[in-house]
Amino acid sequence: MHKAYICNIVAKYRNSFILFKQGILILLGLLNLLPGLAQSVEKDCHCFVKGVVKDEHTGLPVVGATVLLIGKNTGTFTDAEGRYQFAGLCPGVYDVECRIVGYQSSRHRIDLTEGHEEDFSLAETEIHLNDIDITTQRTDAPSTQPLSILSGSALAQTRGQSLGESLKSITGLTTLQTGASIAKPVIHGMHSNRILIMNNGIRQEGQQWGSEHAPEIDPFIATRLAVVKGAAGVRYGSDAIGGVILVEPKELPIDKPISGEVNTVYFSNGRQGVASATLQGGIKGLEGFGWRAQATGKRGGNIRTPNYFLDNTGISEQNFSLAAGYRKGGFGIEAFYSHFTTQIGIFSGAHIGSVTDLLAVLENGEPLIKSDFSYSINRPFQDVEHDLLKVETHYHFPDGNRIQWVVARQLNQRAEYDLHRPRNDSLAALNRPELNFKLNTLTNDLIWDHKPLARKFAGQLGLSTLYQYNLMSGRPLIPNFDQWNIGLFAIERLVQNGWELEAGFRYDYRFLSTYRIVSREKVTNIFRFHNASGTIGAGRNLSDAWSVRFNMGSAWRAPNVSELFSDGVHHGAAAFEEGNENLQPEKALNSVLSAQYEHSRLRVEVGAYYNYIRDYIYLKPQPEPILTIRGAFPYFKYTQTNATFAGLDVNAELNLTKELAWTSKFSYLRVTDVRNDSYLVMIPANRWDNALKYQWKEAGQWSNLYASVTNRWVAEQRRVPPASDFAPPPAAYSLWAVQAGGKWEVSPKNQLELTITVDNLFDTVYRDYLNRFRYFSDEIGRMISLRAQWSFGG
Amino acid sequence: MNRKKQWMSLVMIGLTLFLTQCKKAEDVEPEEENELITTVVLKFTESGSTTPLQFTFRDTDGDGGNAPTTFDKIALKANTSYTLTVEFLDESKTPAEDITEEVEEEADEHLVIFTATPASLLTYVYGDKDANNFPIGLTGTATTGAAGTGKLKVQLRHQTPVNGVPVKNGTPGPGSDDVNLDFDLEVN
Repeated sequence: MHKAYICNIVAKYRNSFILFKQGILILLGLLNLLPGLAQSVEKDCHCFVKGVVKDEHTGLPVVGATVLLIGKNTGTFTDAEGRYQFAGLCPGVYDVECRIVGYQSSRHRIDLTEGHEEDFSLAETEIHLNDIDITTQRTDAPSTQPLSILSGSALAQTRGQSLGESLKSITGLTTLQTGASIAKPVIHGMHSNRILIMNNGIRQEGQQWGSEHAPEIDPFIATRLAVVKGAAGVRYGSDAIGGVILVEPKELPIDKPISGEVNTVYFSNGRQGVASATLQGGIKGLEGFGWRAQATGKRGGNIRTPNYFLDNTGISEQNFSLAAGYRKGGFGIEAFYSHFTTQIGIFSGAHIGSVTDLLAVLENGEPLIKSDFSYSINRPFQDVEHDLLKVETHYHFPDGNRIQWVVARQLNQRAEYDLHRPRNDSLAALNRPELNFKLNTLTNDLIWDHKPLARKFAGQLGLSTLYQYNLMSGRPLIPNFDQWNIGLFAIERLVQNGWELEAGFRYDYRFLSTYRIVSREKVTNIFRFHNASGTIGAGRNLSDAWSVRFNMGSAWRAPNVSELFSDGVHHGAAAFEEGNENLQPEKALNSVLSAQYEHSRLRVEVGAYYNYIRDYIYLKPQPEPILTIRGAFPYFKYTQTNATFAGLDVNAELNLTKELAWTSKFSYLRVTDVRNDSYLVMIPANRWDNALKYQWKEAGQWSNLYASVTNRWVAEQRRVPPASDFAPPPAAYSLWAVQAGGKWEVSPKNQLELTITVDNLFDTVYRDYLNRFRYFSDEIGRMISLRAQWSFGG
Repeated sequence: MNRKKQWMSLVMIGLTLFLTQCKKAEDVEPEEENELITTVVLKFTESGSTTPLQFTFRDTDGDGGNAPTTFDKIALKANTSYTLTVEFLDESKTPAEDITEEVEEEADEHLVIFTATPASLLTYVYGDKDANNFPIGLTGTATTGAAGTGKLKVQLRHQTPVNGVPVKNGTPGPGSDDVNLDFDLEVN
C-alpha cells in the first residue's frame, strides 16, 4: 500500500486505460528509485520520463536516436540498449520527439499533470517499471522534407476509394482523372512518371506513362499513406521529381495474439460495395513468427452525374495479400505477396474516331450516349493485374550496424479492349484486347546503416538495381524493351544543438534497349542514361512552438518509351502524338522551405516550394495538323523545355472551442514554361478547403464522435497556353460535403468505427480541368458513403 | 530435417518465380492480326459506261509514319448521274485485305455517309440496305449539279451496339468515325 503524489502520465496516442496504469507504474518505479520524494506535496520538478526506443519492424532497440523534449528544448541520445531518460521535469504537457536517420520522426504527447493523493494496492508482480517506450517506424523519407501522413481515422474516412482519391485530402495533392473511375495521384502538379509510388517499400512498376493507367494498388494493404512532397531522387532513384507516395502496411504482429479488421463501404453513386478483411497474428509455440492475410473485393456500376448516368463506368476489383515473417535476435526475414485485379469500364460516350466526333460532343454539351444504371462492364474496358512478391531480410550487428536486403519481382499485365471488336468475325470471336502489355520487373535493394558515429552522425549506404522487360502485343503503341538500372547512394545525418542537418548523394545508370517493327523490319535502339543527384537539408526547432525546415534536393527521370516512340492518335485527347528518340533526361532541382507553428489552440504548417525542371518533356503543338484516314488531327510532338513549378501549401487548424475546430487547407501552384515564356497544359487549379468539425468530448461508449461540414473551392485554371485545347478550362467550382462518425467501443478488444459522408451535397454540376473526360461529361453527382470498420483482438 | 526440406522447396519456388522469363522482349513479331483501314477507293460509274472513274486515298503505313501517298481530287461531269461504290482496304498487309466485305457482313453496325459542300455540287441516294432496312452506303447513286468546286466528305460510321442494344438508326449520329476524309471535288 502506497500513498503517492502522482505525475500521471497520459499519452494521447494510446488507449487511455492502459496508459493510466502505465503512468502509475512509472511513478511506482520512480518511487523505488527516489525514495522519500513521493511524500513531498509541493509542486516540485521531480517527474521524469524514460523509456526505450525500438524499431517497429525488428523490435530491436535503436541506438543513438535523438530524443527531444520539445517543451523543454532539451534532447538526449539513446544508449547502447536504446534507453533514454529525462529527469527533473516539472508537471506539464510535453511533446517527446524521437529522430534518427532512416526512421520517421515520431512525436508523442505526454501529460505530466499534477495528481492527487490516492491509495494503491497492487500485486507484487505488477510493481515493475513500465516505461514510455517509443517504437519508431523505418522510413526512407528525407527528414527535412515535408511529409504528409494519412493514417488512423483520416485514412479510415477514405476507405473504399482508389489510391489517388484517398490522397486528395492532403494539401498539394490532386488527381488526374479519366472519367470517374480512373484517378492518378498528382503531387504539386506532377504525376505519372514524375512521381514515384513505393508499394510496401518497392517501387511500383506499371505502365505509369499512360494518363489513364491508375496505380495498381489496393489501399487496404496500407495502414499509413505518406507523401513526400518535392524531389527526393537521392533515396528513391529516378522518377521522384514531384514527390513520392509511400504505401505502408503495419509491421507484422510477431508473437502477438490474433487480431483483425473488417471494412465495409457502400457508395450510393455507382451503387458500389467494397469489403475488405485482414487477419493477423503470431503462431503459438513458434516464437518469432508473425503473419497476415488480407483480401478486398469491390463492385460498382454506372456513375451518375447530376443529370445523367455515364454508360459503362462500372468497376470490379479483387485483391489479396499474404505476409509472413520471422525474427530472432538481430536477424529477420519477411515475405510479402500481393495480387491486384481490376476491370474498369471506360465511359463509352468518350469514344471518338475523329475531331468531328469530338466537336459534336462538345457542341451537344452532354454525352451523345445515354444510359441507365447497370453493373455490366462492356467494351471499352481495361483488365489489369498486378502481382508483387517481395522478400526482405535484415541483420543487426551487435555493434549497431545493420544490413538489409530487399528483393522483389513484379508482374504488371494490362489489357485494354477498344470499343470496336475487329470486323473480321474469326478475329472478333477471339475477343482479344487491342492493347496488351506485360511488364516484368525485378528489383534489388541492399542497404547498410552504419552505427552512429560520435552519437551525432548516422547514415546509410545503398545499392539499388532494377531489371525490367516489357512485352507488347496488339495495336503497336510502345515497343518491347529490356531495361537495366543501377543506383548507388549515401545519406548522412547530423543532429546537434537543436539542429538537424542532412546531406546525400546518388548516382544512377540506366541502359534501355527497345525492339520494334518499322516497315516490317525489326529495329533495335539502345539508350544509355546516367545522372547524379544530391540532397541537402536542415531543420531546427526554434522554440516550443516554432520549427523550420529547409531542403534542396534533385531528382531525374529518363524519357519513357512512350515519349520516345509514340506515333499515333491518342483517342481520348483527339490528338496525334509523336515521340522523339533524341529526348534527354529531365532534371529537377527542388527547394522546399517549411515552417510549423503549434500552440495550444492553433496549428499552422506552411510549405513553400520552387521546383526547377531542366529539359521538361511535354507535347508541343505543331502548326500544321496531321492527316489520317479519320481526318486531320491536331499534331503534337514531344519536345523539351525548362519549366518551373512554384507553389505554396498552407494547412491551418484552429480549435475555436474545446469541441469545435476549424481546418483550412490552401494550395497554390504556378507553373511556367520558362523557355517559351508560356504556361503548360494540364496543371491543377488552385484550391482552398475549409472544414468545421464538432467533436463530442463525452458520449457514453462512443469516442471520437464528430460531425463536420467541408467546403472545397477550386479555381478556374487561367494559366494555360493559348489555343492549346478544344475547350477552355472549366469554370471554378465549389463543393460541399457533410460527414459524421464515431468509434464505438463494444469491448476493450472490439471496436466499431462508423462514418457517413455525403459528398457533393447539393448535386452541383461541374467539370474539372484535370479530368480527361471533361470534354464529354460532367463530374460525379451527389454521393452518400457509408463506412463501417470493425477491429478485433490484438 | 523435414523443416529443412520445406524451406528448401520454398526457396526453390521463390527462385523459380523470381527468375523465370518465358518470352524475350527482343522477339518482336510484326502484328498481322491488327485491323487497319489504309485505303479508300471511290468508283464513280456513269450510266451506260463500264469503266469507272476511280479516286483513292492511300496511307499504307496507317496513321503517322509516312504521309498519305495518294489523296486524289474527284473530278466529275456536271449534271450527271453516277453509280458510286466504295471500297475499304487494308494495304499494310500482303496480300491486301478487303475490309469492304467485313463492313458488308456487319452492315447493321456501319453506315457510309457522303456529304458535299456546297450541297448543290452532288446529291447521294443510298442503293443498299441492311437487315434492319437501314441504308449502308457501299453502293448508291451520286448525281452532280452545276459546275463548281468544293469538298466531298466520306465518312464510315462505326455504330457498335451500346450494352448489346443496336444503335444504328440510319442517321449519322450514333457511333464514331472509322473514316473521315474530305476529298477535293471538282464538277465540270
